Amino acid sequence: MEINRAPIVQCRGLTKTYGGKTALNHINLNLECGRIIGLLGPNGSGKTTLIKIMNGLLNPTAGEVLIGGARPGVDTKYRISYLPERTYLYPGMRVEEMIRYFQDFYPDFRMDRAYDMLARLQIAPRERLKNLSKGTKEKVQLILVMSRDSDLYILDEPIAGVDPASRDYILHTIVQNYSRNATILLSTHLIADVESILDEVVFIRYGSIVLQAGAEQIRRNEGKSVDRFFREVFAC
Amino acid sequence: MLGKLMKYEWQSTWKLLLPANLLIVVMTFFACIAIRLNFDDIRNEGILFSAAMILVTYVGSMFVVMIGTAVYLIYRFYTSTFGDQGYLLHTLPVDKHNIIIAKAVVSTAWVLFSSFLIYLSVLFIFASEEGVIPELMDSMEVFVVRAGGPSTLFAGVMTLIAFVVSILARVLKVAACLSLGQLSANHKLLMSFAFYFGIYLLQQIISSFYYAFLGLVNRRLDGFYYGETWEVTLIAGLVYTVLFYAVTWYTMEKKLNLE
Repeated sequence: MEINRAPIVQCRGLTKTYGGKTALNHINLNLECGRIIGLLGPNGSGKTTLIKIMNGLLNPTAGEVLIGGARPGVDTKYRISYLPERTYLYPGMRVEEMIRYFQDFYPDFRMDRAYDMLARLQIAPRERLKNLSKGTKEKVQLILVMSRDSDLYILDEPIAGVDPASRDYILHTIVQNYSRNATILLSTHLIADVESILDEVVFIRYGSIVLQAGAEQIRRNEGKSVDRFFREVFAC
Repeated sequence: MLGKLMKYEWQSTWKLLLPANLLIVVMTFFACIAIRLNFDDIRNEGILFSAAMILVTYVGSMFVVMIGTAVYLIYRFYTSTFGDQGYLLHTLPVDKHNIIIAKAVVSTAWVLFSSFLIYLSVLFIFASEEGVIPELMDSMEVFVVRAGGPSTLFAGVMTLIAFVVSILARVLKVAACLSLGQLSANHKLLMSFAFYFGIYLLQQIISSFYYAFLGLVNRRLDGFYYGETWEVTLIAGLVYTVLFYAVTWYTMEKKLNLE
């Protein structure tokens, strides 16, 4: 199958300030279709702010972001599957009710895939979300997000709250459940865990993009892993 | 999508609000028995004390349900729109009009339901031996006459519509204040309260000016149509509904700030 390499995300002069503090500083960035891209940077570098603007949860101070050529809105929300860094599920609902909720609102939601992943992770569909541990809630969220056939998956710290034993399965789940024409933008600071699945990395610091390169290109040119290279670039 | 939003809004509110409102029905039943006891003939202090406690609990439960319903609806609006669950709500492929309408309609329906139950409850408590229906008719007549219009069905219906619109305006006022409050970087709830009291003060000033103006006109024109009518309530309600809706929509659409 031929992979579409047109940009799914375009940021043009994207700037966000909170009061007097600049969170994003004139970012220009293109992300192509069909790639797994790591958005990497230390805490407070602007990763989550950038992701929230892409999802329409924050408005930029200047510049714009386009998703498939359109500004964030109802149309782009059909195309993006977003996993935030916090738990956004309704605590009073059961897991199966949350699955129905996603199926009701997202036409691209695959219920069979969701139930299959729940079974593999041994999560009971009848369980109420408020009774689940934080890590299990994060797994449920990831299952919901990855059960959609989206064009763009934006995953903000998808494995941060998950035990190491489950991380491999989750990464496997991410890789297995997206179409080759789709893009995954994955923000994390656990680079060593995700490095094996990344096609491309974007380094961000103080709200500016400092590097955008292929993961293999970094390993070849720098002679070290992306994780090691990241530690050197962002050494305190 | 509006229907789906309303379905989930209803599902997430009824589990708490329906039992709370059923408490009114239960307390009314016991209070009706307690208030109809012939206290002069009862010598048993235990029964007297129990009857008094039932009546006190009845009055207390009315306040708790009324205030609790309002507080819960405000809390739910805030957490589901600007709290953690806002991340889910605002990434659904639905426009902001649908979100606001779904929340406003369901909240208004709950406030109306609670108000209606409390109204009926009070009628039952004070109903004469002839039953509750004559009391209901009497109170409706007083309601319409007090509304300033003629005692007609039209005036009664319009008064009820004005009441519903004024509740909707109040619900949207809270939504607008929470939407404005979330613009603040650090003190979102505090700013929401500040906006609420600021707007409340402004509304009182506008109302005072309106009645002062009518007072002046009435002094000059004998028999001028006075303002305490359903028309004023309806017009003010509609104006505030449109205004607060517009503020809520604008801040959600253009200034959403889920930091």
